[in-house]
Amino acid sequence: MKRSLFVASSISAALAACAPIGTKLNDSGFHKVLSGAEGLNHLVLGTHGLAKEYAESDVDKDFRMNGFSTPSDANYNRLQNGNFRDYRLVIDGAVERRQTFTLDRLRAMKQQTQITRHDCVEGWSAIGKWRGVRLSDLLDAVGPRSDARYVVFHCMDVSPDNVPYYESLDLQQAHHPQALMALDLNGRALDPDHGAPVRLRVPTQLGYKSAKWVNRIELVGSYRNLYSGAGGYWEDQGYEWYAGI
Amino acid sequence: MALGTKVYRNSIPTRLTHWLFFIAFLALVSSGLEIFNAAPYLDASDKSNPAKRVLSIDSTDSHVGQTTIFGHTFTTTGFLGFGDDGMGGRTDRAFPGWLTIPAYQSLADGRRWHLFFAWVMVICGAVYFIAGFTRGNLKELVLRREDLPKILPMQLYYFRLRKEPPPHGTYNPLQKVAYTLVLFVFAPLLVLTGLALSPGFDSMFHPITAVFGGRQFARLWHFVIMLMLIGFFVTHISLVATQGVINQMKSMITGWFKLGKHDGVGI
Repeated sequence: MKRSLFVASSISAALAACAPIGTKLNDSGFHKVLSGAEGLNHLVLGTHGLAKEYAESDVDKDFRMNGFSTPSDANYNRLQNGNFRDYRLVIDGAVERRQTFTLDRLRAMKQQTQITRHDCVEGWSAIGKWRGVRLSDLLDAVGPRSDARYVVFHCMDVSPDNVPYYESLDLQQAHHPQALMALDLNGRALDPDHGAPVRLRVPTQLGYKSAKWVNRIELVGSYRNLYSGAGGYWEDQGYEWYAGI
Repeated sequence: MALGTKVYRNSIPTRLTHWLFFIAFLALVSSGLEIFNAAPYLDASDKSNPAKRVLSIDSTDSHVGQTTIFGHTFTTTGFLGFGDDGMGGRTDRAFPGWLTIPAYQSLADGRRWHLFFAWVMVICGAVYFIAGFTRGNLKELVLRREDLPKILPMQLYYFRLRKEPPPHGTYNPLQKVAYTLVLFVFAPLLVLTGLALSPGFDSMFHPITAVFGGRQFARLWHFVIMLMLIGFFVTHISLVATQGVINQMKSMITGWFKLGKHDGVGI
């Protein structure tokens, strides 16, 4: 019996060592090994199929805000006070025809409505009715050059530590039929907290991919030389670039 | 075979995957709790819905830790809701730092650990099943019809209400119940409920997510199955600790197991 008591206590000691050992490893080169799983997830899961589309009755009338609240910088305030009349969406970079879109021009294009679930990386989900222009229609309008591999979304908000928000998709993800530049949420123009006047919606990936307050879409060959080089604001803080899981 | 006879019980794939399962399970539980902390509630619905909340762990403005299960609130300050921040202090967080990897709160790192060791678990599982089927030793621990009448006598023996266990092979009928449930029910469900949380997986296989009641419900199932597997894990370790721990550990390291009075061989 003494022996089993000894074993029980050594097992408890081993379990208690779990968090400290894990934390040490987390702060070591082992972190790079852990991150290797992302490539496998991207390879195995990828971006296929269509996100489930829900019924009108499933919609969260009071859709939970994700990420940061309304940008407080002067430029955004000016646009907001002018009801976004002066807003322009620029699409440039590795494209055949650089283009500028006003809100009126975006609204005049073919609109898609989708009632899809927003899955936050934190674990919560909410369902919204989104309406806007398919990203692939915008890409068709500018014509990606052959050296374009990624679509980078530049946003009008700056984080509390003064880093601009940005995100990126590869061309296959950007051409997904449900990748949307949303203008409306639940039947009304987007409000500032939800990304007014234009935000990205990528229902096949976690919420942080769906960048708000987008005012420039840049096509690039690589995102490595942008900001910290991981392809997005949250990616630069250690989150996965492939956010399908 | 007689008492004290040594038999080669655990093959190399069994032993190797056993210890990798052990490491991966600890890493998955502690990083899973870290991930839970980012949204410390579980809802029995597809989207988040406070009206269908089954469990929540939070704290009041005055840092009183609160755990609410099916509407019943318990004060859990110091452990759940408010406790160890993993950096020597205390803070508002669902599961304390000494239970999570990393100890400090980092959803990004918790996810890296979880998604890495999920692969370790799945790959080990595949090796284990393939080796078990081809070598035939999986048969020894799967519950069969003829084991069913022996379950109650075995339980009575464990409760010391019966002198001798019913005659059995390598594993007794209760062990077979536990192993069969873990290998063929809990493990696959754990993987599927985890995948159901992924928007990429959901886009391809929404019917599977729907079977579990949707994404948030799958998150609840994932948590419940984890609790069941912790139950198995604790039982398994305490049985190993009381049933000749040196012999048991040796058999999982060298493969050789010394037969006891009641140990059978084969199926």
